[in-house]
Amino acid sequence: MEKVVLPGAAEAAPAQRPQLPRLGWRNLVRRQELVVVALLLLGSAFLSLQTESFLTERNLLNITRNFSWIAIATLGQCLIIIIRGIDLSAGAVMALAGLVSGLCMQAGLPVPLAILAGLVSGSAIGFANGMLVARVGLPPLLVTLATMGIARGLTLGLTEGTPVRELPPAFRSLGQAEVSLGLVSLPLSFICMVLMGLLVWLLLQRTVLGRYIYTLGNNERALLVVGVPTHRLKVLVYTLGGMLTALGGMLMTAQVGVAAPTAAIGYELDIIAAAVIGGASFFGGEGGAGGAILGAALMQVLRTGLVLLGVPVQWQAVALGAMILLVTLLDAWRRRRVGR
Amino acid sequence: MLLRAHNLSKSFGTLPALQQVSLSVHAGEVVGLAGQNGSGKSVLLSLLAGLTVPDTGELTIDSTLVRWPFAARPFGIEVIHQYPDLADGLDVGSNLFLGNEIAWPGPSAWLKIPHRRRTDEAASALLARLDLDTLSPREKVSNLSAEQRQLVAIARAMSRPARLIIIDQPTPLLGYAAQQKLQELVQEWQRQGVAVLFASDNLDHLFAVSDRMLVLRAGRVVGERRTDATSREELVEMMVSAADRQQLTPTIWALDSYYQAREQAEQLQAQERLLQRDLMAQGTLNRELVERLAEQVTALDRANASLQDAQRRLLTEREEERKHLSRELHDVVIQDLLSLNYQLEEMASRDDLDESARDDVDDVRSSIRALVSDLRHICGSLRPPTIDSLGLGAAIQSFTREWAERTGVAVQLEIDPALGRLPEAIELSVFRMVQEGLSNVRKHAQASTVSITLKHTTPRMLLVALADDGRGLPQGTDLATLASEGHYGLLGISERVALLGGRLSLQNQRSGGLHLRAEIPHPRVL
Repeated sequence: MEKVVLPGAAEAAPAQRPQLPRLGWRNLVRRQELVVVALLLLGSAFLSLQTESFLTERNLLNITRNFSWIAIATLGQCLIIIIRGIDLSAGAVMALAGLVSGLCMQAGLPVPLAILAGLVSGSAIGFANGMLVARVGLPPLLVTLATMGIARGLTLGLTEGTPVRELPPAFRSLGQAEVSLGLVSLPLSFICMVLMGLLVWLLLQRTVLGRYIYTLGNNERALLVVGVPTHRLKVLVYTLGGMLTALGGMLMTAQVGVAAPTAAIGYELDIIAAAVIGGASFFGGEGGAGGAILGAALMQVLRTGLVLLGVPVQWQAVALGAMILLVTLLDAWRRRRVGR
Repeated sequence: MLLRAHNLSKSFGTLPALQQVSLSVHAGEVVGLAGQNGSGKSVLLSLLAGLTVPDTGELTIDSTLVRWPFAARPFGIEVIHQYPDLADGLDVGSNLFLGNEIAWPGPSAWLKIPHRRRTDEAASALLARLDLDTLSPREKVSNLSAEQRQLVAIARAMSRPARLIIIDQPTPLLGYAAQQKLQELVQEWQRQGVAVLFASDNLDHLFAVSDRMLVLRAGRVVGERRTDATSREELVEMMVSAADRQQLTPTIWALDSYYQAREQAEQLQAQERLLQRDLMAQGTLNRELVERLAEQVTALDRANASLQDAQRRLLTEREEERKHLSRELHDVVIQDLLSLNYQLEEMASRDDLDESARDDVDDVRSSIRALVSDLRHICGSLRPPTIDSLGLGAAIQSFTREWAERTGVAVQLEIDPALGRLPEAIELSVFRMVQEGLSNVRKHAQASTVSITLKHTTPRMLLVALADDGRGLPQGTDLATLASEGHYGLLGISERVALLGGRLSLQNQRSGGLHLRAEIPHPRVL
C-alpha cells in the first residue's frame, strides 16, 4: 500500500511549547491558592490594625494550633472532593475517633495503641463510605449523611452522653505541646499538620495514585478503559479521607483535653468550605494539599478575627457563609478570565 | 478459541440493543463486524470490553468464564473505542501509559513515581509508528484535535502486547490518511498473530482486512460469511432488512456511491493538502526566480545606461575633436594658404617677372583659392560654422542650401521660427541627424525633393522629420538588416535618437519615399 504521510495531522499538531510554567498575571490568577494567600494576608493585616490582641505570640500560636487539626481533616475532605465525592460524616468521625481513643485510654490501653484504635475507627467509617459509594453505587451525599448519623449515634451510645475527661498527659501533649525549633517554638499539632500536608502533596503530585485520583475526578471512563480498578481506588480514597479526619479529630481531642460525644458538631461544613476555598471543585479533578491547608487557615483567621472583633456568635455564621460565597464568586470570575 | 460469547442480550429500558448474540474469535484472525448505525455494534463491543454489563449471556475468554464488569487488559485485550476516552488533565505520554506506567521502583504499583524520561522515549517511539512524530509527548491531550486524540488512543492500544484488539468504528474521527494507516496496522497485527475484531460501517475497510465477517441488524447476528466467499451486495442485503427487497438495489447503489464519494472526497482532500504544499514550494521558487530576473534586469539597465553614457561621451568628444580640427584648419592652414596666396600676388606684381611665369603664378593662385574653398567646405562639415554663433536653424539652413547646390536635389525647409537655442549636445545631434539623413537620401533614394521639418510638438518635444520622394526602404528592411549590410546611416540616426531618449519612426510614404520622424525630448534653454 502506498505510504501516505498525514499532512493534516502534522499540521494540526500544536507547535512544541516549553511546558515550564511561565510567570505572569494569568498564571498567578490561575492558582486559587494565591487568591487565598492574598485574602489571608489582607485579613491578617486588617485584624492586626483593628485589634491589639491579634498580632500577639499567644494568639498566633492559638490560631496555628486550632487550625492544624481542621487542616488535617480538610486534607482528607479534599482527596474525596477531587474524586467528585463529598464526606458529610467528617465532623462525626472526628468526635468518634477522639472518643474511641479516649475510651481505650480509659480502659488502660497504652497511648499509641489508643491512637491506632482511633485511626482504625475513622478508617472503618471511611471504608464503609467508600464501599457503599463505589460497590453499591449510592450517591456520596446520602451515604455520608447516613454514616454521619451512625457515627454520631455511636459516640453518644458508647458514652451514654458523658464526656471522657481523664486523658493521659502523654496524649494531651499531642495537642498542647510545643516543639522548640531554634528561635521559634511551634505547636506539635502544627508540625504534624505540615507533615501530613507534605505527604498528601507527594501522593497527589508525584505518584501514580495521585495521577489516578485526579483522572478519576476528571473522567472515570479514561481509567475504566485502561483497566484501572476505579472501585478499589474510590474505596481507598474514602478510607484515606476517614483516616486523616480521624487524625484531625484526635488532635482536636488532645488539645481540648476532653473527648466529648457532642464535639465537632457541624464541623463537616467548615471542612468542606475550607477545601472548596482552597481550590477543590465539586466537579472533580481539582484541588491540592497546599490549597486545603490555606483554605483551613483562612477559615480559622476569619473565625478568630470575628471573635476578637467582638462579633456576636449568632452573626459569625453569617460572616463565614458570606466568606464562602465571596471566595466562590472570586473563583468563578477567575475561571472566566482564565478560560478566555 | 480466544473469545467466545454466548447469547448476549442487552436492553436499555424497553429498547432491546442486543438480542441473543453469539460469536467467537480465534487467535490471530481478523473478524469484521458489519452493520448500520444503531445495529448494536458498539454495545456488543462494549460488552466484550467489559465496560457494559449484559442482561443475559455469558462470555469465556481462554475458556474461562468471566463476570461483568471486568477489565479487558489483563486478558490481553486492547480496545479502540469509537470516541477516545483520554485523561484530559494529563499529557500524551502519560495517557499512552495510563494504567501501565513506566515508573521508578516503588513499594506498590500505585505508590510508584512515574519515570518521565523513559515514558517520553517510549511515547515518542509509539507516536512515530503512527506518523505523529511532530506531537510532543508532553503536550496536554486537551490541546489535541479529535483526530490526534483518536490516534493517541490507537497508540495506547499498541503500548503493551495484546492478543486481541477490538476496534469500534474509529473512522469518523480519522482523516483518509489516518484510515489508511489504521488498515496497515490491522494487517501488521494480523501478520504478528494478533486477533482483531473490527467494527465498521464502511464495507471497503472490512473487505480490505478481514478474514470473516459478521453482520448485525437490529441487535441480532443475521449472517456470517468468509470474506473471500461473499460480495458487497450480499452483505448489504443482510445489513438492510431483506423485507424491503424492492428497496435493496437503490440502497446498495446509494451506499456504494456514498462510500465511494466519501472515499474520493477524502482522497481529494489529502491530495489537495499535498498539492497546496507543492504550490507553496512552487510559489517560493517562482518568487525567487522573479527576484533574480529583476536583479538581472536592473544590472542590464545599469550596463545599458553606462554604455549610453560612454557613447554620449564618445560623441561629445568626437564633436570636440571635429571642432578643434576645423578650428585648426580654419585658423592655421587656411590662413597660411591665404598668406601664401598673398605672397604669390606680391610676386606676380613684380616687374622682373616674365609673362609665362606670371601665368604660372596665377595658376598656382587659383589652385590655392580652390584649395581654400575646399578646405572651408571640409571645415563646414566638420563643424557647422554657424551652429555655435547662430544656432541650429541657421546651421541647417546654410548646410541644406549648400547641399542642394552640390547635389541638385531640391530641399524644402520648414523650421519653427521659435526654435530658439537648445543644449549644445542636442543641437549637434539634430544637425548630424539631418546631415546623415541627407547623405542617405543622396546615396540611396534617387529623390528629387526632400522636405525637412523642425518644430516643437510640445514645449518639451522637438520633432525632426525628413521626407523624400525617392524609392523608400526595401520591403521588410529593418535597422538590424541594414547594419548587417554595412549601411550605418539610418543606424547612426537611430542611435543618436536613443541616446537623447527620443523615439524614431521610419516608414515608407504612400507616394513611395521614406518618411523619417524623430521626436526628441529636451529641457528648453531659456
